[in-house]
Amino acid sequence: MSIAMTEARPGSAPQGVSVTFDTTFRGLTRLALKGILLSLVTFGIYRFWYVTDLRRFFWSRTTIDGSPAVYTGTGKELFLGFLVALVLLVPIYLGLFAISLAIPALAPASVAISFVSLFVLGQYALYRGRRYRAMRTLWRGIRLGQDGSALGYAARAAGWWLLVYLSFGLAFPFMRASQERYRINHTLVGTSRLTSEARGRSVLGPWLLLYLVGLGIPIGFGVALLVASDFSLPSDLMVPKPGGKAGETILNPAYAGTAIGRLANALFFAALICLPAAFMLIPYYRAREARAFAGAVRLGGVRLASTLRARAFYGPYIRYVLSLVGLMLVLGLGGVLLALAARQVNFSFIHWFIVLGYVIMAPLGAVLYVRLVRARLWAAVATSLTVLNSEDLSAILASARGAGSGLQEGLADALDVGGALQIGL
Amino acid sequence: MDPLPQDPTVEAEGRYFDGVSARPHPVRLHLDARFRVTGREIAKDWDPLDLRAEDSVPPLMRVGPAHAPDRVEFSNAALAATLTARCPDLHRREGAGGAVRLVLWSVAAGISVLLVAVFGVPYVARLLVPLVPDSVEARLGAVVEPQVVRVLGHPPACTGEAGRAALDRLVSRLVAARRPDGSLPADLAVSVRRHEMANALALPGARVMLLSGLIARATTPDEVAAVLAHELGHVHTRDPTRALIQASGTSFLLSLVLGDFTGSTVIVAVGEALLSAGYSRDAERAADAYAVEMMARAGGNGAALADILERIAADDGPRGTLDLLRSHPLTTERAAAIRALAGPSASGRQILPEKEWGALKGICATTERSSDRSRTP
Repeated sequence: MSIAMTEARPGSAPQGVSVTFDTTFRGLTRLALKGILLSLVTFGIYRFWYVTDLRRFFWSRTTIDGSPAVYTGTGKELFLGFLVALVLLVPIYLGLFAISLAIPALAPASVAISFVSLFVLGQYALYRGRRYRAMRTLWRGIRLGQDGSALGYAARAAGWWLLVYLSFGLAFPFMRASQERYRINHTLVGTSRLTSEARGRSVLGPWLLLYLVGLGIPIGFGVALLVASDFSLPSDLMVPKPGGKAGETILNPAYAGTAIGRLANALFFAALICLPAAFMLIPYYRAREARAFAGAVRLGGVRLASTLRARAFYGPYIRYVLSLVGLMLVLGLGGVLLALAARQVNFSFIHWFIVLGYVIMAPLGAVLYVRLVRARLWAAVATSLTVLNSEDLSAILASARGAGSGLQEGLADALDVGGALQIGL
Repeated sequence: MDPLPQDPTVEAEGRYFDGVSARPHPVRLHLDARFRVTGREIAKDWDPLDLRAEDSVPPLMRVGPAHAPDRVEFSNAALAATLTARCPDLHRREGAGGAVRLVLWSVAAGISVLLVAVFGVPYVARLLVPLVPDSVEARLGAVVEPQVVRVLGHPPACTGEAGRAALDRLVSRLVAARRPDGSLPADLAVSVRRHEMANALALPGARVMLLSGLIARATTPDEVAAVLAHELGHVHTRDPTRALIQASGTSFLLSLVLGDFTGSTVIVAVGEALLSAGYSRDAERAADAYAVEMMARAGGNGAALADILERIAADDGPRGTLDLLRSHPLTTERAAAIRALAGPSASGRQILPEKEWGALKGICATTERSSDRSRTP
């Protein structure tokens, strides 16, 4: 905000208009239930039309300066894109399968080879999917667009992830900022280009917190363990569990009471507590990142500001988990009652009940997820945004470029990367 | 045009966008038989029948002619209601609808894929198996065996010397006694692993794996030999390679077409399990016949196959997915068929002398010590 103050023209305070989102979600439950049930009976083919309906819903309920966004994509485009992507993917899958057969030396690494090549392909697909969504988005009749190269984006992602790996994860926020800059700097609104001033430094603090909680404490105990054992861990520290399955190990009882044993136990419990704790911090990091990156977006003189709080990211997940637990309790209670009633009647009844429970639970859980998590997260991000210097929005002009190919998102769907609702495109 | 008597005029304020720039123009909206937009340097006169509304949250409404980029936005409930009443096509979408047709077609497509998975893939696998060169099959076996060993929980290989020698003699007697047309690959490899499960597995590339539980449960050498001969029957018809092609083809097809969707992984898993659990009944019957004939030619008791299968069935029942009976389900007809093939005189014969049978039983007394460690602090 301090930058906003210094850059504001003298004599006129920065004029802000808020981004609004209709949080009544009227019609969303019906839309989601219909989409999920039809996807189930059509072996998943309806999901393209379902995703299209969801996007139309969310786009049209998000307004900037009073004007709603318009999504003009169709299910048919998504479906055709998916079919084309399948044709492209079959040889790739077969090739990956053949590698381990043709070159037996590579067989042990075949999983890693598949993972890396599919990851890079996935990044390529993500960028192309984003291009499709941008080109199907209009605001005040102005079509958005995206240039830049999907191959370049995938190469950058591969390089950055290598760096993240080599730096033990410390480079992660810098990778996120760099990729965000690439995406935003290649996004167009009509003829105007968005620019991003996202910096890894701005989210380094939240990332370090997550990093220290998740890895710092266990690594600390690990180093202490190494020091205590004079940097030569006894090879019999872990022994096979007596009577356990193959591969199950326990701490050697002979070490109980020694410093090494206590440290090994502490390391074990630290990992048991710290990793879930770090997992719980992910929404916090995501919220801080969303706020920092949104605040870094520029469009000429127009700038965004976000007031997103981390608790806005926790609430939806907590409500979702509580609803699921409640749903399972109700179903479980009903199951117990029915089982008691049916005890004399038929034993196999209970199996049918489990099947029925799954058939009910799966769609209900999916609807709850859309309604309580997807929609709430979208609402949290959208309503936290303010457009500063919004009078400059009037300067945006439509560009002459068309809507582009409709097949671009298919690969992302075939590879199962990206989502139906990427917040902020 | 004069407003018709039943078309009372509705007016409201709104914003006009020309579709070229994002600049809003304040305008006055006027609806009677026509929809008029007037403002500074703006005068539009639209036919209500041409108007289309874009999705928005009431009371906001965003309308414009169907095939032009300009739009007006207004938040006036009275005008929105009147417009909805007078424009029959206001919420029509090009290319929308047809959900029923879509559902019917995709159900048909899904059923066709399932039929291909159930009938087409096994048929293609049967056609493909003779085309797989031995060298490729040997490589397949080399890839598959570690996987099977991992699923079994890394059982150690049994290498008792006397037992190994007895097993080798048994295998060579069986191979020598094969039918004239019952060719077996030259690189046949029979291994024994220490595992409490009573089972034997044939893998691609002429690899047969006996689990020590089977040897422990057998009361005569002929029972072990008959199970071994049964697996050699699978090797002869290359059933393991066919099953592998079939299972990978099916899972490839299902996961490819289903893509990712809630529950699709479950469907894929169930599908694979249903479609590739063991061999078909015909393949089992053929392997039984092969085993009985091989046992008879080698001077052993073919009916022993029925004996050991019945004993394991009586003791265990079908327990786990890896059990012998799960992959080789025993029916009374099957046992009767085995006994009928073996004939009444078979039960007197024994394929190995007692001394060698004792050695074979002791093959797992010493195993490769791979995972034991000393226990000093």
